[in-house]
Amino acid sequence: MSDPKRTVIGFVCERSLPVERMLDEHKTLLDDPDTKFVVVPCSGMVKPTLLEAALANGADATFVCGCAIGDCHYRTGNLMIRERLEGKRNPKLRKTTDRRKVGMFFVTMKDRVAFLEALAAFKAGLDAPPAQED
Amino acid sequence: MYRKFLRLTKSLTVSFEKLVNFVTTQEHNPLYFHGALPLYTFWFLIFSGILLWMYYIPTLDRAWSSVNYISALPTPGDPINLAAGIPYGAVVRGIHRWGAAAMMIVTLLHMFRVYFTDRHRAWRWLPWVTGVGLLVFVLFVGLSGYLLVWDARAYYIVVATQHLFDGVPVIGAALSSFLVGGEGITDYTLTRFLFFHVGGAVAIFFLVWMHFIRLKEPVVTPSRATNFLLLGFILLAAGTLPAINITHELLAKYGHDPRIAAQAAYIASDAPAQIGTLVETIRYDAWYMFPYWLIQNVGTTWTWLILGGSTLLLCVAPFYPKDRRANIAEVVEAKCTGCTFCSLDCPFEAITMVDRAPGSKFKQIAVVQAARCSECGICVGACPFQAIELPELHSKTLEADLLALVKKGA
Repeated sequence: MSDPKRTVIGFVCERSLPVERMLDEHKTLLDDPDTKFVVVPCSGMVKPTLLEAALANGADATFVCGCAIGDCHYRTGNLMIRERLEGKRNPKLRKTTDRRKVGMFFVTMKDRVAFLEALAAFKAGLDAPPAQED
Repeated sequence: MYRKFLRLTKSLTVSFEKLVNFVTTQEHNPLYFHGALPLYTFWFLIFSGILLWMYYIPTLDRAWSSVNYISALPTPGDPINLAAGIPYGAVVRGIHRWGAAAMMIVTLLHMFRVYFTDRHRAWRWLPWVTGVGLLVFVLFVGLSGYLLVWDARAYYIVVATQHLFDGVPVIGAALSSFLVGGEGITDYTLTRFLFFHVGGAVAIFFLVWMHFIRLKEPVVTPSRATNFLLLGFILLAAGTLPAINITHELLAKYGHDPRIAAQAAYIASDAPAQIGTLVETIRYDAWYMFPYWLIQNVGTTWTWLILGGSTLLLCVAPFYPKDRRANIAEVVEAKCTGCTFCSLDCPFEAITMVDRAPGSKFKQIAVVQAARCSECGICVGACPFQAIELPELHSKTLEADLLALVKKGA
């Protein structure tokens, strides 16, 4: 049985993945037509409100992909977005946002395969029951 | 062509780091802490150096034997230095000696990593140029350390350096005299060398401050695993190859001690310096003594050209090739509330908060210093009010792209 069709929108740092080789002219991921990329200069540029807007407008899931932790071209962009999505830094992701639908990947330009595997695992986890709040 | 070269070096560097990740994991990959490693190593040198400094005597007749005393080795013929010496002194000296080698290795690793990943240009010129200064000072401090042992090699270095200075027009003689503190070598000479060594180390701290001045939250601590790994390497080297002064005379007298006999071939210092007696060849330390290898093999003129030329090339490297600078962050005055989020998050200290005119609704406004802006957009991500934007990638454009993609996928 094939997986259900989903719309996944990713905000991807242009230095984290070789995006020009991974997308077609419609910014759709060649290895996964469900997934589309918005390419940004650094993952630290992504506001949590953009992820919320993607979900509010019909995306089934959304994610941010930045450089490997410790290796951001701009030093701290990946750390910033990670802390914002974890609610440790302003502006934060809203508490009411379904966290199952928000992914984070931090990879190098040589980690294309690892990224695709992590993306597939993220999509597979979308059907998991919501986490219990403490 | 040059850009292609930088792209290639980056690709190769990332591939190599990926291999290292298999062993160390991404979290502990020392190559991701390359900037913190020299500073971490520097602490070893500071603390071991202070211990050595306590017992070092900077006079012509005492320097060599005081180094022996630190290493718990008596000096034949020196009536004072017959005591038992400093417990583990040879190991402390070994930490200082191998730490110095590690310092140059991690400094070069840091420099090549930054260069190969194209993180030395444009808005990063100040950290890079001060980094070149740090490299020169690390070399200078390391070399001056070899002078303090005051063995035949140290004397050779002094004579060779004077020879190098003599080649400088007009001020050559003054430089030569400045090096030794007068017309000839006296006790003041070693006091001066001690100042060069310790004062140079203090100057390194000043340069490190300048190195960090435009970086928000510089990484100054490697991961704990990396710390222990480097500490382990230095201690292992210091424990198995402690730095001690070995001469034929000492070997004849204490050669029965397997510890001394085992080290003789590796890091033996030379016999005490004898002014006027120059050894024909010296043992070169690969990390610090290449200028002297150059002097001996290509002559002083070429040595100046090679050292000066490569330093100059390194200093101008950040300014070529020039990038198109069209996407520098712009503040939308009407929307800026002076919340400081952009200023706090900017990784290169490119945004400062300035006071607004009296009577304004908000007290402060963000101001972008164009030369420091990296066009990364981190400030845009930090601003909750859309009050700072990249002109060529406005938030509204980003949102429109996003909605178009959602629509296509639905």
